[in-house]
Amino acid sequence: MPLLAVKKLRKSYGERLLLDIDALTFARGASYLLTGDNGSGKTTLLRILAGLEQAETGTFLFNGVRYDSAADLARLAPTVLYVHQHCYLFHTSVAANIEYGLKLSGVSCSERKKLVQAEMDWAGVAHLADVPTHRLSGGEKQRVALARARVLKPQLLLLDEPTANLDDEAREQVVMLIQQMREARNCVVIATHDREMTAMEGAVHLRLEGASLHVS
Amino acid sequence: MTLADAARHAFELLLGGDATLWGIIWISLRVSCLAMLVATPFAVVLGFVLATFTFPGRRALIVVLQTMLALPTVVVGLLLYLILSRQGPLGEWHWLFTQEAMVLGQAVLAFPILAAMTLSGVQGVDARAAETARTLGATPLRAALTVLMEARFAVMVAIASGSGRVLSEIGCAMMVGGNIAGVTRNITTAIALETSKGEFAQGIALGTVLVALALAVNFAIAMLQGKGEVR
Repeated sequence: MPLLAVKKLRKSYGERLLLDIDALTFARGASYLLTGDNGSGKTTLLRILAGLEQAETGTFLFNGVRYDSAADLARLAPTVLYVHQHCYLFHTSVAANIEYGLKLSGVSCSERKKLVQAEMDWAGVAHLADVPTHRLSGGEKQRVALARARVLKPQLLLLDEPTANLDDEAREQVVMLIQQMREARNCVVIATHDREMTAMEGAVHLRLEGASLHVS
Repeated sequence: MTLADAARHAFELLLGGDATLWGIIWISLRVSCLAMLVATPFAVVLGFVLATFTFPGRRALIVVLQTMLALPTVVVGLLLYLILSRQGPLGEWHWLFTQEAMVLGQAVLAFPILAAMTLSGVQGVDARAAETARTLGATPLRAALTVLMEARFAVMVAIASGSGRVLSEIGCAMMVGGNIAGVTRNITTAIALETSKGEFAQGIALGTVLVALALAVNFAIAMLQGKGEVR
């Protein structure tokens, strides 16, 4: 059984049909690279899967359970977790950001501390634990956003242009972290234009063109 | 008495711990703090609700709120006077010319500032904040509260601005408080009274305190705005 199966997904903006996908499946432990021209609907597709936008039609089977509306899909968070193209960090410290979802999940205080520390070490931001997030560079912000997502162990992680607007060094660090997430057998869907990312081995390529999705 | 003499006498009163003078300052601070305590929770909730939810009458409520921002203090004083006077709907409370009436009046004055600035602060939060909270597992209510937390500096600036307004207002305090010595005489009403009597020393002393408080409030606002700035 696939992790997520999508059928008859349609989404328009006014007269323009943006997405018209008959069937799409995401398997556990696989990674997917979603490409397409600007405005081709990559972000919209990820947002629909995360329950942040409503599609006109479409059925979603997650672990075999059917979800019909965006409100239904949104209840899957943080099992399905979306990270914005320009990630948003709360105006608190780095550690508090990573801890946010754990608090919501009811993880005990002592366990939270351990998990947050481990994630900060993983992302290389432990030295920034108490730093307010507005003082971070773009690359540091992206690493914190990835750590904040990873700590919740999502079954399906949706990353929207995770390397956009980063300098080369920051991009390399982020790509390395994403590689590690793939190796940990998370199902990761990455919308990207980045050539280095599109060259990732073992990933399924999904290309959006004229509202249709082509799988290779 | 020359102006220099009055100023010297004013500082003697202040530094000498004049009981009457410090009693007036205490009444001012007590009434204003209580007014803010009464108004803040309701106003912040209203501002938050108006910014977060769409419902019939929302637009009209915002217009009323914005109109209340420009309401002269004497008009609020007049309305409360009519409501609290013996023939008024709340005449049985016997609140007219008491500190309770002053607290009520100042709370009414602070309310629109607090609510309107909270509304604008919450509306100013990046739309991705709520979405990020939701995708990290927050319920819609928890996500909305996270947005309010993101607007906390704007809310604190609203509280500081509201405090400035109630500390410096005179019309409402004069009308519903009655400027009774030792009971409802606060800084602004005392300044007006002393000046009308030609007793400038106490007026200057109280004016100095008021300016110092206004400076402190504005300094707090500047600090909070600096903290809330996102680079």
